[in-house]
Amino acid sequence: MAKLERVKTGIPGLDEMLGGGFLPETANLVEGAPGTGKTTLGMQFIYNGIVKYNEPGIILTFEEFPQQYYADAAGFGWDFKDLERKGLLKIIMTSPEVSRRDIESVGGIIENYVTEMGARRIVVDSMTQFGRLTRDPVELRALEYNFINALKREGLTSVLTRESPVLLGEAPQDDSLGFVVDSYIILRYVEIESAIRKALLVLKMRGSDHAKDIRQFEITGKGFVVQSKFEGQEGILSGSPRRMADSFVKAFVNP
Amino acid sequence: MATSGEDFTARLMDDMDPVLLDFIKNKVNSFIKWDLVRFFYENPHTADTAENIARYAGRNVSAVEPELEELVESGIMEKRMLDDVAVYSLSSDEEMRALVDKFILACEDRHFRVKAVYHIIRGMR
Repeated sequence: MAKLERVKTGIPGLDEMLGGGFLPETANLVEGAPGTGKTTLGMQFIYNGIVKYNEPGIILTFEEFPQQYYADAAGFGWDFKDLERKGLLKIIMTSPEVSRRDIESVGGIIENYVTEMGARRIVVDSMTQFGRLTRDPVELRALEYNFINALKREGLTSVLTRESPVLLGEAPQDDSLGFVVDSYIILRYVEIESAIRKALLVLKMRGSDHAKDIRQFEITGKGFVVQSKFEGQEGILSGSPRRMADSFVKAFVNP
Repeated sequence: MATSGEDFTARLMDDMDPVLLDFIKNKVNSFIKWDLVRFFYENPHTADTAENIARYAGRNVSAVEPELEELVESGIMEKRMLDDVAVYSLSSDEEMRALVDKFILACEDRHFRVKAVYHIIRGMR
């Protein structure tokens, strides 16, 4: 079987979990509570795309001002202003109501930037803001579906962030978006032995195998780093995992 | 002939790059426009409705929308219709963007800011 081309995130540990990276021209949801690192993951996906894989990118923000991205990126040593000057990056601030109309129209701002820059990647931060367009879940799903298809039509591989309303544990979501996207990554806070750690799970990846285990990750001075899986713990996604019985760990986890 | 104090002040305040003087007197001639130009300088690829831009600027849409329209007339901003929604963005014209950059960078100088404030207040009389 021919090996599928991959859009690498360049994030240590994550591409391996994704079977080599995202599939091209797919929509990839990253969901997590505030501060878990959704935006950092998205910025790193764009930055690595430009500097490592020669793929210009766009960040579409519905909430944070672009100047905040410049500052946050600089903290990791990523010079987003310079990349913009070179025409390799555009950080566009707009709203779901405008971007939805824009990308569905011919000759819209996003379409023009994609053509001018040769953009291959986009981060949409965050899809949660689409919820203000309608209270009707059926209409919301249709809006999200059209928007995602328009991104694919432009040949873009997207990372879509979404806020999780709870800090610890599993979040109740009206999950229309989860069905529409091609892959679904969850970021969670986990309390273990009176300390907060962060966990990452690839919940779904359409058309590809992927790692099923839950891994620890950290935001370091160089960005997002995925580490080893949680050993000897169960119930990680509940936010308050329990230690597995020693006999079970000895027999099945670390024999 | 003796010069009145007001004339002297006016001449002192006019002592700046004539291009910037014209920019202040005829284009960025209100404090809301100044705020908007600064916002679009710092966030140059913003494209949104008057209502959302007003929210970003922390102002009322009824105050912001007419100012955006005047910035469109003077060529600093662009306006396009998406269905029935008006979307405003900074002009894509390189010369105009360079002028905006020049104005904002000049504003880093306190003396320039004092002169700019003087002209805006005089223009509002």
